[in-house]
Amino acid sequence: MRTLFHPRVAAAAAALVLAVAMLAPATLAADVTDIGYVDQTQLSNIPRFAAANRQLAQYKADLDRQFAARMRGVKNASDQGRIAQEFQNKMAARQRDALGPLFQRAQVAIASVASTKNLSVVLDKRIVIMGGQDITRNVIDLFNGVGDPVPPVSTPPPSSVGFVDQVQINALRKVKAANDDFVKFQQEQSNAAQQKMKSAKSDADRQQIFKDMQKTLLDKKKQTIDPMVDQVKRAIAVVAKKKNLLLVIDRSNLIYGGTDITSDVSAELK
Amino acid sequence: MDDLVKRHPLYAQLSRLDDDMEALQLRSVGPSPALAPADLRRQQLALQKELEAASDRANAALKAKQQEYAKRENDAIREALASAGGGAGPGGAAIGAGIDAQMQRQARDVARKAQANLDAYRKQVVAQDESALRAVQASLNERAARSYRTKLEQLQKKEADEALRLANENSGERLSLRTKLSNLVLDETQRDDARKQLEALDRKENDALAAMKNRDVATLNAYQNQLRAETGAEINRQASAMRARTLAKINKRERDTPTELATKLGLPVGGGTNGAPRTAQLPSDVRTKLEALHEKYKQDFTKDAKATIDDFQKTRAQLTNRFAKLQGVDNASLIAAQTQLTVLQKQRSQLYEQMVAQIGREVKLIAARRGINVVVSDVAGPSNAVDLTADAEKDIESLHE
Repeated sequence: MRTLFHPRVAAAAAALVLAVAMLAPATLAADVTDIGYVDQTQLSNIPRFAAANRQLAQYKADLDRQFAARMRGVKNASDQGRIAQEFQNKMAARQRDALGPLFQRAQVAIASVASTKNLSVVLDKRIVIMGGQDITRNVIDLFNGVGDPVPPVSTPPPSSVGFVDQVQINALRKVKAANDDFVKFQQEQSNAAQQKMKSAKSDADRQQIFKDMQKTLLDKKKQTIDPMVDQVKRAIAVVAKKKNLLLVIDRSNLIYGGTDITSDVSAELK
Repeated sequence: MDDLVKRHPLYAQLSRLDDDMEALQLRSVGPSPALAPADLRRQQLALQKELEAASDRANAALKAKQQEYAKRENDAIREALASAGGGAGPGGAAIGAGIDAQMQRQARDVARKAQANLDAYRKQVVAQDESALRAVQASLNERAARSYRTKLEQLQKKEADEALRLANENSGERLSLRTKLSNLVLDETQRDDARKQLEALDRKENDALAAMKNRDVATLNAYQNQLRAETGAEINRQASAMRARTLAKINKRERDTPTELATKLGLPVGGGTNGAPRTAQLPSDVRTKLEALHEKYKQDFTKDAKATIDDFQKTRAQLTNRFAKLQGVDNASLIAAQTQLTVLQKQRSQLYEQMVAQIGREVKLIAARRGINVVVSDVAGPSNAVDLTADAEKDIESLHE
């Protein structure tokens, strides 16, 4: 699937380039039995989560009204920024209060079910094409139970499924440098394209400007991002082999357990 | 997964949807405003000033019209009263004004008294309601407590009966064992054995009674909850009924009060005391004439004011449009583009899901053929697992045929 580099969203999209590219479009398989998965959509439909979300929506609507009232007549940009920050903090605090304990409870329920079923890793359902144990129902039942779910006594067993934290990898000096370089280039190209758009006479002209910009960005990506992506993949492969791992996934797709190889991959890249 | 999606027969369709969305987004970008931020701000302020001026003009015009129509109406009424009094001049107007002032005073006094009566009545009815509700609560709670006590006594009696029954049932055996124990020639083993049997008998009885007591405690708890729920529901029901009755009483009194007021003031029942000229004590033909005059000027003013308001709204719409153009936003086309974009995004999402589901089915078949029981997508890098991508690509491509 192509990434749309709309000029207005180009900057935001650029930050994701490396991360997306590193999720290789490969389908790997293994003959293992200790993998479970959870459907997070179903978890979010649990009445307590739904009620908390409704309350948050109501609170947000109230806050929006208060915010609009406070901003009325405020001309100074720094005052506007301060007020906006104040309201964002209020919202974040309410989110923590409302959802924090529920997330905590869900985490304990997942850990408890995983431990009972001897699972070494629990993944997000979205990446599981086939197999694995669906523990969503068990987790929901435990979550909805009368008492608090009891956390497992022991840590999860060593898993043949590894994971890397892409955020940490992106923060490595040379990876960050490549990423920043690309983002800067992309911003420049986007600004230049926007300037050209002003004098464009027709949609066809604008389309052409857009296509030219995309091609330039693609060339730059091949030159700066792709080699870095290959290096990271190689590092992951080396560590996976050393640790005899069957699969390596991104941390964002992991729910519980797994073997963290982020620091090994970082060391390999240095 | 993305590589497999690209090989899917429906990818061309998906790609076309992407192109359409891209084109729409591109169009919505459009030429950016050519004004510098400072100029933009200046022009916005100028437009804002125009809008405020238009609003002030409209308000002033409305106020002037209101005064003008009020003056015209007063003149016409004065003239009508003068002619009713036998000739033109201040005599008729003075009579009219005198009657009006006197009626206003009377109306104020009567309304004040009526309001005070209504407030006192409301307080009295609410107090009665609260007192009645407290009595009902006490009575229902007492009834529930009585029922609970009766149940408790029943269960305690059953427990006592059961204890007696068990004691009677085992009395023969217990007596025999005690007799045995009192035998001095019994050796230590035999004595110990008899003692153990006696203890076992006691334990059996105690266990049976304890089990019964536990069951009774559970029964009592359940019964107490049931009574609490029933009593609560009954109190709520009676409270709702009482409140409804109280509200109906107060509403009726509130409805009756204006009628009483109108009767006392000699006004037509259902009519207000504001706005229309106070004409109750005038001859009926003059009263009709004055009411018709009031109605006419009211309608004339409304019509005239509507024209002024319409003018202002037109000006506001034009200024709003200029605001929007100034910011480079064509609202109508932007909304249309957004709507179309939403439709396309939905179509794309459905198509993508359909393709992913089909790819999933193909991959499952391959995995089954190769005896693999877990397949995961979106891996971060090569590892020791089996890569099914190439096989899946072949299968997906074969779908084209």
